[in-house]
Amino acid sequence: MEFVSLKQVSPQSKILLLKELGYDSDGEFVLHKNGNKILDRYLEIPIKIENMVILQGSEIILDDNELSLSKYLEEFGDVL
Amino acid sequence: MSYEDPIKSVSEGAIKGLLNWSFDVVKNLASKFKDKELAFIQDEKTIRTVKEQYNSGELAIYKEYVKDKNILFLLKMGLTLRKLEEEKEDERKKNLRNKIFDRYGVKGVHISQLVENGILNRYIGILIEGIVSLEKFKEDLRNVLENIEQHVIFVRVGDQGRNIIKQAITITSSHSPIIFIVSGIFSAAEIVRDCERKLIELLNDYTMEKISSKNKENLFFRRILR
Repeated sequence: MEFVSLKQVSPQSKILLLKELGYDSDGEFVLHKNGNKILDRYLEIPIKIENMVILQGSEIILDDNELSLSKYLEEFGDVL
Repeated sequence: MSYEDPIKSVSEGAIKGLLNWSFDVVKNLASKFKDKELAFIQDEKTIRTVKEQYNSGELAIYKEYVKDKNILFLLKMGLTLRKLEEEKEDERKKNLRNKIFDRYGVKGVHISQLVENGILNRYIGILIEGIVSLEKFKEDLRNVLENIEQHVIFVRVGDQGRNIIKQAITITSSHSPIIFIVSGIFSAAEIVRDCERKLIELLNDYTMEKISSKNKENLFFRRILR
């Protein structure tokens, strides 16, 4: 699995990427196409584009924190 | 195409040093993502830290004796907090502690702290010294993890020494834990040190040993079996 870091990527590029993957953004948060905020699967908090990670497994967008990433590994195995 | 290339090559027009990806680069990355060839992350170090705990030997030992999945997860979070502390990642550590609190409450933070501060390993060591049977050992371990507030006082900055002592007496007289711990880090370690003499004097059904370092003070009181 290759990693592409979003850390130094401009918000505009991240929004472009989200749209290409079928999502959206209001400039701050990651949104569903219908405009609803996407929530981190494990913490149920809105995900800021400056802090998002997009992982494999039905396209999972999470907040970049150790708790969510650990939960992800528990659910999907050692896939990273 | 290497993924070093798009990131390095599209800096033209970047605002505040951030990289702008062209539409073609985005399309290409999205296509590779859909083919499950890559993932978009923030910092690879975070992934490494998380994976290290996922595969750690210490966690493997805990898994042998702790079957509750939520508690095991909190022990893993404790290992991660300890790692972030070692790496002086103060902001990430604070952020993780807040996330643990949001999801699992103060009890969850305390269970994680038990591992972070090295208390659980010493606790297990003391239990092993007096082990009667593996089943009893597992039961004692489960008991401390599920009822942590009956076994450990986590002293916080600003706590009053006399309240700590009062709380210690209440806990030990109500629950008679076989091992009772008073723990403090950073400024709270000093508060624990200040209480030590009085606690030894008052908890006369217990013997005391401690694990100290510059920033940590953990007092272990072992009940004297009569």
